[in-house]
Amino acid sequence: MNDMRSGFHQEMVDLEQTLLGVADQAEQMVGMAVDSVCIPDMELAARVVQLDARIDRTYLEVHDRWMTLMARQQPMASDLRMMSVILHLNTTLERMGDQCVNIAKIAQVTYGLPRSERIVAQIREMGDLVRPMIRTGVEALVRRDLDEARLLPAMDEPIDRLNRNMYKEVVDCGPDAGMLEWATRMMIVSRALERIGDQVVDIAEQTAFLLTGEMMEFNEEGMAASDRNGDVP
Amino acid sequence: MELVENVPMVDIATVQSPPVSTPPPIAVEARGMGVYYKAFRAVKDINLDCVTNKITALIGPSGCGKSTVLRAFNRMNDLIPGARVEGEVRFDGVDIYGPGIDPVEVRRKVGMVFQKPNPFPKSIYDNVAWGAKVNGFKGKMDDLVEGALRQAALWDEVKGKLRESGYSLSGGQQQRLCIARAIAVKPEIVLMDEPTSALDPVATLRIEELIQELKSRYTIIIVTHNMQQAARASDFTAFFNMDEDRAGYLVEYGRTEDIFTKPRQQMTEDYITGRFG
Repeated sequence: MNDMRSGFHQEMVDLEQTLLGVADQAEQMVGMAVDSVCIPDMELAARVVQLDARIDRTYLEVHDRWMTLMARQQPMASDLRMMSVILHLNTTLERMGDQCVNIAKIAQVTYGLPRSERIVAQIREMGDLVRPMIRTGVEALVRRDLDEARLLPAMDEPIDRLNRNMYKEVVDCGPDAGMLEWATRMMIVSRALERIGDQVVDIAEQTAFLLTGEMMEFNEEGMAASDRNGDVP
Repeated sequence: MELVENVPMVDIATVQSPPVSTPPPIAVEARGMGVYYKAFRAVKDINLDCVTNKITALIGPSGCGKSTVLRAFNRMNDLIPGARVEGEVRFDGVDIYGPGIDPVEVRRKVGMVFQKPNPFPKSIYDNVAWGAKVNGFKGKMDDLVEGALRQAALWDEVKGKLRESGYSLSGGQQQRLCIARAIAVKPEIVLMDEPTSALDPVATLRIEELIQELKSRYTIIIVTHNMQQAARASDFTAFFNMDEDRAGYLVEYGRTEDIFTKPRQQMTEDYITGRFG
C-alpha cells in the first residue's frame, strides 16, 4: 500500500516517540521523587526539579509541532484520533512532572523533621505501585493493546486505597508537633501519587479511544461504564 | 409523477441507511442500482438512502463512479448513448426509472449544478427566469428571479445589473447564478457535481455557506474530490471505491462526523488518511 501522506505520518510517529521518551523520564522522576522523600535526599529532590524543567520545555515544543501539524495536515479518522491522543498525552505527562516536583519540594521543606516509618513505608509502596502502572500504560499505547489498557484501573485501585488510608496513619502519628507537620505534608505526597495513578488511567482511556473511536471512562474493572449495557464497540 | 405499482421488495439488510435512532424522511432511495455504459459496468449494487433536507457528500477516488451515481439521480445517463440503469431510484417511493415516468418531469424535481459554472449566454435575469419560462410559469417573474437570486446569496451583488450578461460575473458569482437558475424551478433535490473545483478558496467557502442555507429547502447531494469540503459541508458522507473490474461500489455510508473520525471500514480509513494506492 502506498502512503500518500508519509511525511505527515512520520512526523506523527516522531511526536509519539518524543512523548514516549518523556513518559520514561516521568517514570524515573516518580522513583526519584519518592526516594527524595523516603531516604530523604536533597540532591535527588533538586534533580527532580531540574528534570521537570526539561519536561516543560518538551511540552512546549510538542505543542508547537502539534499545532503546525494540525494546521498544515488537517488529519482525519485514526490520524485525527492519534493527534488527539498526542495532545492529551503531552498535557498528562507535563502534569505528572509537576506532581513529582510537588513531592520533591515537600522532601525539601520536611527535611530534618521527625518521621513515621509506617508512613514512609506506605509512601514507598505507593511509589512502587505507580511506576509499573506508568510502564504498563505506555506499553498499552505503544502496542495499541486495548486489553492491556484495561488493566490499568485495577492497578490503580490499591493506590487509591493506600491514599484513603493515609489520613488514618497521620492521625495515628500522635501529638508531636514536628511529626505532625511532617505527616500532614505526607498526605500531599500521597495525594500526588494518587493523582499520577489517575493520570495513567487517563492515558489508558486515550488508548481505548485511539483504538475504538469511543471515549470511555474506565471503571475499576477496566471497562467503560457503558460496557455494562453491552454497548462497547 | 404517478405511483408505480408492484414495486419489488429488496433485502433491506443490504441498504446503507444513515445510522440514526428514528428513521428520517428519505428523499432519494437507490436500490440495487447499477449503471452500464454499453458492456462496461460503471457502478454496481448501490443501495443508498439520502435524507430529506440534509447534505449528502459522495466521495471516493477518480473513477469510483460517484458522478455516475449522481447523474443517475436525475436520469442524465439517459442522454448518453448505450447507457443503461438497473435497479431502482425512488423519489418519495416512486421509481424514477419505472414505466410511464417522464425524464423531463424527473429533472424538474431535481436541480443540477456542474463543476464549471455554465451560465447561458443571456442576461443574469434571463438565466434565472429561463427554466420557469420553459415550464410555463404564470406568476410574477420578477419576484421569482429576485427570490432565487436571494436564496443563492447573489441578489445584493447583481440587483443593479440584472440585464447584463451572466458572463460578466466572476467565477464564484457565475456558480451562484447557476445555483439560482437550478432552484428557480423549485426542485426538491439539488445535485452538485464538484461545484467548487473551478473556484478560488473564498468563492468555495461562500458556496459551502450557501449550501448550508439551502438545505432547509432542498435535499442536496454533492460530489466532491475535496475531503475537507465533504467534512465541512455535509451531514452524511458516502464513500465509493472501485472493484478489480473497475466497477464503482458503495463502501461505507454514515454521518459525516463518524466517517471522518471513526469510519467502520478499513478501506474508508485508508482512503481518508491517505494510505491507498
